Amino acid sequence: MRRYFLLVASFSLLLGLLITAWQENRQPKAISLTPTLTGQVEYCLTCHADLAEISTSHPVNTFGCVLCHGGERLSLDANLAHSTMRGGKNPSDFSVVQASCGGDNCHSGTAGNFRNHIQRATTSIQATYAGAIANIRYTFGVQPDLKARMGIFDIREPQSTSGITELAVFNPTQETNLFIQAFGQNCLTCHLSAPPLPKSAYFRFTGCAACHTPTQSPGRMDTEQLQSNQIHKLTISISYTQCDTCHNRGNYNLRTLTFEPRQDLPADRLHDYYQPIGQFTSCEWILDCIDCHTRTEAMGDGNLYSVKKDIQYIQCKTCHGTLTDLPLTITLADPNDLAFRFALLNPVIDIILGDTLLVTEKDEPFWNIRVLPDGTYELFGKADGQRHVFRTVKGSACLQDPARQDSGSCHECHSVER
Amino acid sequence: MRPSFFHHLHPPTIPAKQARFRYTLAAGGLAVFLMLILLVTGILEMFYYIPTPAEAGTSIQTLTFLVPYGGLVRNLHFWSAQFLVIVSIVHLFRVILTGAYAPPRRFNYLLGMGLLVLAILLDFTGYVLRWDEGIRWALVTGTNLVKSIPLIGNVLYTIMVGGTQPGPATLIRFYGWHIFGLTLTAGILVAWHIFRVRRDGGIAVPPPPLREDQTRITRSELISREIFAMLLVSTSLILLSAFAPAPLAAPITASAQFSESTRAPWFFLWVQQLLKMGSPFFWGVIIPLAVLILLSLIPYIFPKPIKHELGRWFPKSNRIAQAVALVIFLSILTLTLLALLTAA
Repeated sequence: MRRYFLLVASFSLLLGLLITAWQENRQPKAISLTPTLTGQVEYCLTCHADLAEISTSHPVNTFGCVLCHGGERLSLDANLAHSTMRGGKNPSDFSVVQASCGGDNCHSGTAGNFRNHIQRATTSIQATYAGAIANIRYTFGVQPDLKARMGIFDIREPQSTSGITELAVFNPTQETNLFIQAFGQNCLTCHLSAPPLPKSAYFRFTGCAACHTPTQSPGRMDTEQLQSNQIHKLTISISYTQCDTCHNRGNYNLRTLTFEPRQDLPADRLHDYYQPIGQFTSCEWILDCIDCHTRTEAMGDGNLYSVKKDIQYIQCKTCHGTLTDLPLTITLADPNDLAFRFALLNPVIDIILGDTLLVTEKDEPFWNIRVLPDGTYELFGKADGQRHVFRTVKGSACLQDPARQDSGSCHECHSVER
Repeated sequence: MRPSFFHHLHPPTIPAKQARFRYTLAAGGLAVFLMLILLVTGILEMFYYIPTPAEAGTSIQTLTFLVPYGGLVRNLHFWSAQFLVIVSIVHLFRVILTGAYAPPRRFNYLLGMGLLVLAILLDFTGYVLRWDEGIRWALVTGTNLVKSIPLIGNVLYTIMVGGTQPGPATLIRFYGWHIFGLTLTAGILVAWHIFRVRRDGGIAVPPPPLREDQTRITRSELISREIFAMLLVSTSLILLSAFAPAPLAAPITASAQFSESTRAPWFFLWVQQLLKMGSPFFWGVIIPLAVLILLSLIPYIFPKPIKHELGRWFPKSNRIAQAVALVIFLSILTLTLLALLTAA
């Protein structure tokens, strides 16, 4: 054999070794993190170091990434690292939420300490869609009344005090009525487990993130743009635009039993509402939805219900009182009061011991509404932080009928022109 | 110059015609070289690998991603193992298609067959040691095949798996077999196989009077050629290891489901395809065993190659053996391709 061959082969091996060394050195330097809650080292920050911390109550040094997202904590290969992530990019999807967000010390704690969020959210009307399903099934004669019997997933809640303790899964293919089948095929797009509609003007996640993870510029881009503008954020400061991703995104066509997502990108909150006949008082379009609607209304109270009105209880009088009574209030005397926790998580108001806040008849504190010395009330928007001052009905010239407290009655005088 | 130990491993001279690459394909020598690489890289891997279900996957991830050049070591081990199976098969078919198994080399042929089986078993046990979702289907299917054997299947399964289903005992048993039982046996058989090559007269050639070409090369020349082949293979292994990492998936968890993409390792894809035809015992055990036995019996049941035809490809005197071997090879290749296409 010619020495030349051996020389070339030796050089090729040397070149191979150099390439390997170059390949090894061009790998990113692993960035380790050992979260205090897990005590297990993880290397997600090697690629995700520039990701903003998801919220002040979930500091990365405490939680890390894997505790919530799953994934292979040691892998520096993106495909492998992401292969076991829970719920893809969204660990709060209800199919995996218990593993991601649950735990006695996290969000599946007891009702007593207001930490049973997962149980409440998954039994809520927004998750079960039980009301709409019951309504359609009743309308087409396959169930005798409007009581909910079926939901998006089967669920048992023996402790439910609403009279409904379980829901069977609604399976449109097992329905004999063609309209109900069509409803199942076309209209199950409006619950917390439903992925956003393709080409919809609005994008949202599923599960908890549907409300708590806003997009960067909500309601202003098409789906693809919004997907590329997702932000790593969990918040209780939820703008009305986030609610609109479900509640102003189109309408049902009852003739064809289809959902027609709106094609425009609504810019004017008051005039671009999907129902032309909708009436609004100024606080309904100036404030954000969560300024009035409490978390129990939005996330449920742990019971199974048939329709929205069974859980919704906030009325105009909750804040404005009646001709004879002022709204309910509470004076903060306990430093562990729930109101302080909310104000800490969403610091739009600086409340202190001794402050008097509004409270609902179910004892939910309006921690953002404080009674002022002159008898008026100041409200700080939970989403925008803006201050609004309002008065009570008592002592005013209001013609309120105490027996008629639904919004329609108040709209008769107080709704604005659209 | 006094010959060194390595020189002594080679005969002083060998026939030039039969020492050509186009005749030997360098398969036997490369198989030994690959085994040495596997031994060295395997020992290095043992410093990090933890053979428990809870830590096997994470220890491999630690080795692969966090230990400096750990990924390279693992990739070299993986690719050397795949190369070993390939060159062993190439070596087998070279021997059959040149009639080199003719007496007195029949017993050494059986030793070689044993080594091929050991190489495949080592590959399979090493594959299982990953203990990740990528191997679960093969582990469950492979061990269940053993269970399908009448009368002794359940006993064999329990011995192999260490319980009623794959678990911690399975992993430690596969680990024991991989690093000790099979490796030790393979080491002994390799030494025996090489010894028998020398004892049986070196490479198969016609008797001296019948040789057309009497030229011989020295062992220095032979070693140079071996080094050349080793350098080329090393370069290929290094480059493959740098750019084509060994497969790795998420560790096995009880809740995970088999994905549609799970399949047997490439050298068992033909068996996977056979299993689709029906009885696991017949198609998964009897047929592969029959193929192995048929290949092993080639030197004994088919006409012997005549001496003056030795040392060249496709001697006329063993055409039946060549045909049988080629039919087997093409059948396995076709089944493998079908399995790949089905998976795709």
